[in-house]
Amino acid sequence: MSSSKKDSEASPFGSAHPTTEIAAASPAARDLIGLLTHEDLDRARDRWRVTRARWKGRGAKRFGGLRVLWLLVGPGVLVFLGENDAPSMLSYSATGARFGIGFFIPFVVFTFLMGLVVQEMTVRLGAVTHRGHAELIFDRFGRFWGFFSMGDLVLGNFLTLITEFIGIRAGLGFFGIRPAVAVGVGLMVVVAAMTTGRYWTWERITLGLAIFNGLFVPAAILAHPDWHAVGHAMLTWTPLPNGRGSEILLLILADIGATVTPWMIFFQQSAVVDKGMQPRDIKAGRFDTLLGALLASVFGVAAIVATVPLFHHGIDASQFAGAQFAEALIPWIGHVGAALFALGIFEAGIVAAIAISTSSAYAFGEVLQTGHSLNRPMREAWPFYSTLLGSACAAAGLVLIPHAPLEFVVLTVNVIAVLAMPPALAFLILLVNDRDVMGEHVNGFWANAAGIAVTVLLVCVGIGFGLATVFPNLLGG
Amino acid sequence: MPKDSESKRSAHPQGAGSIPGVVAKPDLKDPHVVLSLLEADQVVAAKQNTRFGPRKLSVGVRVLLWGLRIYVLAMLVLVVVSAIRAIHSAH
Repeated sequence: MSSSKKDSEASPFGSAHPTTEIAAASPAARDLIGLLTHEDLDRARDRWRVTRARWKGRGAKRFGGLRVLWLLVGPGVLVFLGENDAPSMLSYSATGARFGIGFFIPFVVFTFLMGLVVQEMTVRLGAVTHRGHAELIFDRFGRFWGFFSMGDLVLGNFLTLITEFIGIRAGLGFFGIRPAVAVGVGLMVVVAAMTTGRYWTWERITLGLAIFNGLFVPAAILAHPDWHAVGHAMLTWTPLPNGRGSEILLLILADIGATVTPWMIFFQQSAVVDKGMQPRDIKAGRFDTLLGALLASVFGVAAIVATVPLFHHGIDASQFAGAQFAEALIPWIGHVGAALFALGIFEAGIVAAIAISTSSAYAFGEVLQTGHSLNRPMREAWPFYSTLLGSACAAAGLVLIPHAPLEFVVLTVNVIAVLAMPPALAFLILLVNDRDVMGEHVNGFWANAAGIAVTVLLVCVGIGFGLATVFPNLLGG
Repeated sequence: MPKDSESKRSAHPQGAGSIPGVVAKPDLKDPHVVLSLLEADQVVAAKQNTRFGPRKLSVGVRVLLWGLRIYVLAMLVLVVVSAIRAIHSAH
């Protein structure tokens, strides 16, 4: 198949429009028969399993419902547990160590609600259009805005990918594993996941790894937190953080950046498309996204709670990396708890490295109009797999370069994610309100209100950060 | 190659009417079966040959996009300044 301009001009198919028409019943069916790809076959196999589960579940609705959910859960859980990545978990850990139990616990849960609002829109967009986010931006807004949007994504993804390998190195460093070996292990896992040649297998392997994000829960329990104080904080958002305004604002930014970032939009939409989800799967997609947000918020709060002993004992954790947090926690949560914490940081880095490098590869494939599916064999989609592997290798290599400015990357990555988010949200909201693209699935009033509120909040926090940078004494230094 | 009537019968496997086809393992070597499981705009070839096409950007949308673009660029400069300051103060 060719995607050349000539072919496009000679296309027997008209302009794209939202439809739920089955391909076999479409006027173009005869033309499509000879053009089916390996990707189509794999996707059809996945669709058959969903269809069979739906049919089998007609009599026993609950069981059938669960089977359908099992088949359709994936992109939402992956995107949220992927975003509970190494810098995010370190950001939560720094929050717990600096401010203890209080305002930041409900605030982190609130940021996941913001994430839920945003990611729900990507589910609908992907299921209705069957196209990735980058492709739709290029299609509807043109190359000029498309390249700006890609620039934000590429910069953010690459910086974040570097921090994932820093996390992998730090997590395994706790067990005395040398940095080169740790980074090599991380890279091998990314390669192993991408060589499955099947979206479904890739998704299940990555989900299997992602569930280990829950290691922060036993680490938190071993910290013997005051659960009454946690409950009180959740209900009252108190005690409020006590410290320099600029420091609090930076942690607020970092915690938002740990939950709401541009790569999540691009990744989940592309994953929904690669999974073959259709408009009838939107409800299941919403459940998937809600489940992901719920799990990630519990694990994020657990990371805060696990480091609260450092706050109570006045340990200065402002310069801590992953392994240092784990080592500092040994007196209070023991070797087992500290090992769980370090493994959690390692896992967070691994899963995010897989998801973020895949997100970059999807976006590049969509823009270059080449194969961009994990259902494609490598020989058919080598630019896609090269981007995936190349970005992971470059980030891994950079982490091993002595004196590389990694401190700069760690400090800026979550902040850049928050600052790059408003334009990404603007494109998302414009697309889900575009009736030519979404048909009957356009945003309703409340979805728009919530989406706009999230965008305005992010802009305000960003402006606050800008003011605090230009006028350092404005918020108390 | 199935005749048109067969094609129509297998065209809606997701509906309640095509039960036997749903339960039995499908023969994915048959392109009609593959097409009956996918939506029209879900087939790779169909997607590659169609575009939603550019939308007309109103003045309001252009102002919004440019405003947000300038915001991001200005903020990126501030992030670099802030990070350099933080590194200097740490050392």
